[in-house]
Amino acid sequence: MPFQNEIKDNEIIVFADTSLFSKDSIFKCLYWYGDKFHTNVSFADSNTFRVSVKPISTNRLSQQEQENLLLKLERDLVDFNLRDIVTKETQNVRDLLIAKAFSNGEFDELPPGDVSDPVGFNVNQLKND
Amino acid sequence: MLLRTKGKPINIETHLVGKVTRNPDQLDENSFLLIDSSISELPSKNYMGVLSRQDEYEVKNGEYVVFKIPTLDHLTDGDIVSVGNDGNINTLYRVNSFHNTLLATERCNSNCLMCSQPPRDKNDIPIHYQIHKKLIPLIPKDCFELGISGGEPTLMGDLFFDLLSQIKTELPATEIHVLTNGRSFAWNQMAEKLGELDYRRLMLGIPLYADYYQVHDYIVQAENAFYQTILGLHNLARYNQRLEVRIVLHKQSIPRLTRLAKYIYKNLPFVEHVTFMGLEYIGYTPHNIQKLWIDPYDYHDELGEAVEFLAGQGMHVSIYNTPLCVLPERLWKFARKSISDWKNDYLPECSRCSKLNDCGGLFTWNLKKHSEHIRPFTA
Amino acid sequence: MIDAKPDRKSRKFREIDQFDLNEKSQYYLLPFRFHRITDEKEIIVNEVGDYLTLSNGTFERIVKRQLDKEKDAELYGDLIANFFISEEPIPPLIDVLATRYRTKKLFLNYFTGLHIFVISLRCEHTCHYCQVSRVTQNRDLYDMSIANIDKGIEIMFKSPNPHVTMEFQGGEALLAFDNIKYAVEKAERIADEVGKGLTKVICTNLALINEEILEYCKEHEILISTSLDGPKYVHDKNRHKPHASSYELAIKGIELSRKILGHDRVSALMTTTKLSLAYPVEIIDEYFNLGFQGIFLRNISPYGFALRTDKSKYETEKFLTFYKKALDRILEYNFSGHYFTEDLAKIFLTKILTPFNVGFVDLQSPAGLINGVVVFNYDGGVYATDESRMLAEQKDYTFKLGTLDDSYNDLFFGKKAQEIAQLWANEALTGCSECAFQQYCGADPVHNHATQGDMYGFRPNSDFCQKNMEIIRYLIVLMESDNRIKKIFESWAKTATH
Repeated sequence: MPFQNEIKDNEIIVFADTSLFSKDSIFKCLYWYGDKFHTNVSFADSNTFRVSVKPISTNRLSQQEQENLLLKLERDLVDFNLRDIVTKETQNVRDLLIAKAFSNGEFDELPPGDVSDPVGFNVNQLKND
Repeated sequence: MLLRTKGKPINIETHLVGKVTRNPDQLDENSFLLIDSSISELPSKNYMGVLSRQDEYEVKNGEYVVFKIPTLDHLTDGDIVSVGNDGNINTLYRVNSFHNTLLATERCNSNCLMCSQPPRDKNDIPIHYQIHKKLIPLIPKDCFELGISGGEPTLMGDLFFDLLSQIKTELPATEIHVLTNGRSFAWNQMAEKLGELDYRRLMLGIPLYADYYQVHDYIVQAENAFYQTILGLHNLARYNQRLEVRIVLHKQSIPRLTRLAKYIYKNLPFVEHVTFMGLEYIGYTPHNIQKLWIDPYDYHDELGEAVEFLAGQGMHVSIYNTPLCVLPERLWKFARKSISDWKNDYLPECSRCSKLNDCGGLFTWNLKKHSEHIRPFTA
Repeated sequence: MIDAKPDRKSRKFREIDQFDLNEKSQYYLLPFRFHRITDEKEIIVNEVGDYLTLSNGTFERIVKRQLDKEKDAELYGDLIANFFISEEPIPPLIDVLATRYRTKKLFLNYFTGLHIFVISLRCEHTCHYCQVSRVTQNRDLYDMSIANIDKGIEIMFKSPNPHVTMEFQGGEALLAFDNIKYAVEKAERIADEVGKGLTKVICTNLALINEEILEYCKEHEILISTSLDGPKYVHDKNRHKPHASSYELAIKGIELSRKILGHDRVSALMTTTKLSLAYPVEIIDEYFNLGFQGIFLRNISPYGFALRTDKSKYETEKFLTFYKKALDRILEYNFSGHYFTEDLAKIFLTKILTPFNVGFVDLQSPAGLINGVVVFNYDGGVYATDESRMLAEQKDYTFKLGTLDDSYNDLFFGKKAQEIAQLWANEALTGCSECAFQQYCGADPVHNHATQGDMYGFRPNSDFCQKNMEIIRYLIVLMESDNRIKKIFESWAKTATH
């Protein structure tokens, strides 16, 4: 990997592979830094996001604080990317679930499998009367 | 407890169902006269027939007869029996018992590892139905509770609803308790039909053995049974049916038992009763005992946590088929004397126990396989 | 459709692996959310509020399909059973999950229940943090008119809710007791006619309570809700009453009310102020010794006069420290066999531990304003919440839905209501949409507006978010680390639903 995460001039800079990290997850992550930091996202190259945060306050962060912050940002990016995967993968089933929740059972699925016994029983024969 | 006997039939062509009495004055067209020894003269009124222990019997008016019956001691005036053309006399209803059950069918679509009454793969539904149709009007109107079991009663299909409907009409004051695996009710039309009966005295007892499908399906030996049962319970709740969840305690159900309790509270909070039941040593159980046996004493923790959790959340919980001495005392208040009179027994040492009167004891057949921790209380 | 399939010839028993419906171990994710609750533990919460706590890294393994069905059998079973993953693209029990989702949102079925009548703005107290009251004799200006009471009652009974609650607030409501009597009797008549349930509550500092009033409350089954901030030295400082001890009056009033109405017909609300923060244990003890079964540890609302009073400003962090100390004290009482609850925890725990929900105005989504509560102000203004009318006292009419002269539809479904409805669901708010505690929390546009200047709010520095996140996290950590606490919490949650 040509880009190395770094701390430079009171700014924390993290790089993220665009094939692994979604743009949405990066913005959702940076949202939580917005009260205390200037945040920025750009492309380092066509396959790499450059994500940076810089304290709004003019007080310089200590070395330790900077390192903690770097670690936190790295972890948060991973967490938010995983959350984003869940959100996107489950969007359809979630929509279906909520549509069903506010319906009256008219969209119920058919049950899995059958209920026959070795002699032969068909629950659907009951349907017609 | 003797529930069937046999003698030599005369004139009987089809199944007859009638009450029995030893008192000729009580006879009517729906009753049999019991003859333990010889009597001087048969009553002249219209009645169904004669059940006799006599070795010889002379038919006078073409009446239905079974004679040469080894014993009639198990029959009380008012009991209801079926009499077959083969001379078989089955007790269908015992007037002095609180545990009368109609066997709907011996067919079943599950094949539980611990089934106490293994299914048979023959179509016995029409014959049972015909007998019950005759039996139900004869049952005393003050009958407190009547069970319906199987096999799987819903395999009766339409006849299941006909049977319930007849009971509702004939026995409006009787509580009805149906044992079903609930799978058929996964199909909404089944639950809907039951809902249409609007039967408030009906309670369905439905088994559930795990919160995870594979464990439940393995225990009942049927694919998709778990999903069907849960969907069935939900469909039944949609039509406001009264529901009981029944959990048999054994080596396969214990590991996820506390999870099952949480699952029931979260997903089935509408059930009226949750019962935890000790294993019966009969039917398939002896064959599968290696897979099933765990000493009740050794699942105290799991049972206690499950029971106390559900009770703590306001659900009605019972423990069945478990003697008090193998339960921690804090669970005694949940223990019920659940075993039907005719299959209930105690160990010899129990006669010395000071809690005997409060204890449900054992199934007769569990005398052969019981907890190692049964000890009489000596107060 | 299924067919008769009399194909199973054998009843030979099969082994458990033959009942695996998914031998390939390929699974699908279901909607759920993730949060780190300690350095070692993470939590996942599904769409209906069931949670699992997991060791660090498990969430990542689940998402990256690194679970082994054999080696992780127990976890795998838990994830399937609790609707976190599915072996089918559409889970076989999706309809059960949908029913549970509907149960969690059941409060939407009923619409507005609580109708607050600000019967008088006048008060004989001069509490330093009070947001609205006036010390005055001017009834014409500060009491609700009979005409407005009539209109309020008319609107209240237009609610589709089969059971409505009429709550009289002030100022000091008892200064207008004659009007309360008028309102109660009129509402009772209509409730009877239309066949709706009606609960009546008077919120009062009890200074003016007497036997005659209480006998009336008894006859009309009116509940009393009062304020008690803790021991005398806290309460009297918070709630200043010229030439008298507010505390003494409250205690005397509680005793008399209990005597006449019955013990459980009187409740007390506690407001945390900067002064209270130093006395968590003493405040709990006060409530316990007075025979209450619980306490609601409310932080002071950031509205009205409170915002302008330095004396009452404190940081959420300090409130949380106070809250935890107080909760510890409450748990001590429970450990020694007493039933005593903290009612904010009880609300959260009901959402966390039960399949049910509780309607609580700022802890539900969609929010409880309009859906659950509406306020009829003394002057005929109609507001979305109690806090909304307090903002109005500072000339901020953002949450004024209209006046009692407007139609029901204009008030409840009008432009203002629609505007608020755009952002009253935390499912659709930035910062909340992927939050693990979304199902336990709520949306509060009024609070956002009051504290951050816009209804949408900004979660990273929201005190609402900070407070709820930490309390929920703390409750879960407590019960996951101590089974005794879990049992206590389960007992609190149960009583909230039954």
